[in-house]
Amino acid sequence: MKTLIAIKEADCNWMRETLPGTQPLLAPLCNKPFVEYLIDFAILAGCREIRLLSDGPLSQIEEYCGNGSRWGIELTYANLHPSDGEPELLRKNRKFCGEERTMILSGCTFIDYDKTLDYRGLASIDSGGTIASCPGGSITLAGPLEPSLTDQPLPPVGLTPIGDLKSYCRIAMTTLETGSSRYVLPGYGGEPGCAIGRNVTISKTAQIHKPASIGNNVRILPGAVIGPSAIIGSNVIIDKGSTIKESIILDNTYIGEQLEIEGRIASKNTLIDPESGVTLAMQDPHLLAGINGGATALVLWRKIVHALAAALLLLLLSIPFAILYPLLRLRGKWQDVPSIPNAGLAESIASAFSLDRYPLLPGVLTGRLAIIGSRTHENRAANHTGTDCRPAVFSYAETEAWAATESDAAIVERYHALHSTPLGDIGMTIQALINRIHYRNPT
Amino acid sequence: MKFRLDTQNGITVGIAELEGRLDASGSAPLQKASADWQTKTPFLVFDCSRLDFIDSSGLGAIVGCLRRSLENNGDLRLAGLTPKVAMVFDLTKARKLFSIFSNAGEAAASFGATPTAIQER
Repeated sequence: MKTLIAIKEADCNWMRETLPGTQPLLAPLCNKPFVEYLIDFAILAGCREIRLLSDGPLSQIEEYCGNGSRWGIELTYANLHPSDGEPELLRKNRKFCGEERTMILSGCTFIDYDKTLDYRGLASIDSGGTIASCPGGSITLAGPLEPSLTDQPLPPVGLTPIGDLKSYCRIAMTTLETGSSRYVLPGYGGEPGCAIGRNVTISKTAQIHKPASIGNNVRILPGAVIGPSAIIGSNVIIDKGSTIKESIILDNTYIGEQLEIEGRIASKNTLIDPESGVTLAMQDPHLLAGINGGATALVLWRKIVHALAAALLLLLLSIPFAILYPLLRLRGKWQDVPSIPNAGLAESIASAFSLDRYPLLPGVLTGRLAIIGSRTHENRAANHTGTDCRPAVFSYAETEAWAATESDAAIVERYHALHSTPLGDIGMTIQALINRIHYRNPT
Repeated sequence: MKFRLDTQNGITVGIAELEGRLDASGSAPLQKASADWQTKTPFLVFDCSRLDFIDSSGLGAIVGCLRRSLENNGDLRLAGLTPKVAMVFDLTKARKLFSIFSNAGEAAASFGATPTAIQER
């Protein structure tokens, strides 16, 4: 038996806002792309050749699924017209279908199957066409009957439409609760109801309450509470003390500190209430933000710009440092340079040129530090583990006068770490240098 | 921001209507206005039914107003949170700090039942 999986863009319009840019077949359901559930069912029904049909772009899904070898099947792709019904699909794909029994899975619907049951009987039942249907989708059989490969009676097959966020959320939660006893779900788990992906760091003081599914490359920081009924995607950071309950956190999302997410979907900086459909795009990156996984070029460019700035500072300050460092060290005054203004001419000059930071500058050349970012000299960067931590010689907080307290400084650092540009960093470094002079020597 | 005094329940309650966006640019004017309102009464209601958006700095400003009211033995109550604004209060757990009512009338009337208000009367 062969399978045609047909999905039309119009069936999945509701996904546009929640998962912009994602092929509907790749929408994650309990950390597993929707298409994999369909493929799993087709395999359970004895299909070894599957064709994916869509009226939208297929490149994303082709890239993900490849030729199907990972499932031990042959997977091909083709386009369909939005108005195509099942007869047209069969006609247009008659070369693929040949004279074999063909199962057509159409629409954005979830198949309630059980991986422990044998669905190979579908090839031999004379159903007269549709064997299951629901608003928006169906399972149809066409072509000649095949000899039965099983003696088992055909298990019931149910369909649930995924027509909106509410149903998407409900199906994801049901799948999570049903767990790996019924579906093949990703992740490792020592006990039922909890699946954890690769490269997951969970703090000792974080709590995980079943059922929960956690994707790959996830960091759960101290005091965070995950679950019950929490689906955490891949490339996610749950910051300190936050609670995620009955919610879905989609891939590449940062959840800030001390937040409470209950009955919501979070996708990057967007928070969605699946019940009402209300969508909120947060503008506070320290609360909710996207994690950009593809910023390698920007990171490299930033490192080059910072290294050039550090090299320039090393060159410009080399003479004052060469003269003043030994002098102040001998007088035992070097450690006073950052804090005591006007203690003497040498100290004042050293302070004005921020020579106390000079020994840190080579760290920028080696890529260990940034020229500007989070403060390393107060050891806060080492304690801060968010996405926005960039240990540096100068702090973004030093560019702004109002950041008086530690928490103010942290807000400023996080804001600029997420919004600054490499060239903007140079301007801010100059600003920090000026501010350091000004605030050490207030008039 | 419109502000009016309500004395229907035998206690002077200041009702402020917040409108549009309450972000970093709107926080300082709110704090300033709130200080002025506090001189008239420490019992305040913020009617948020026309507030479309709030961010953390706006939330910080409202919490600051609450703190000032509490310091003056009053209270700040919120009314008519729109779904988006309510989501921010839920997310940040700020909802636990406030008494929240469906409309400004209910919020103002609620002061009539508080021990502080009874004492005042």
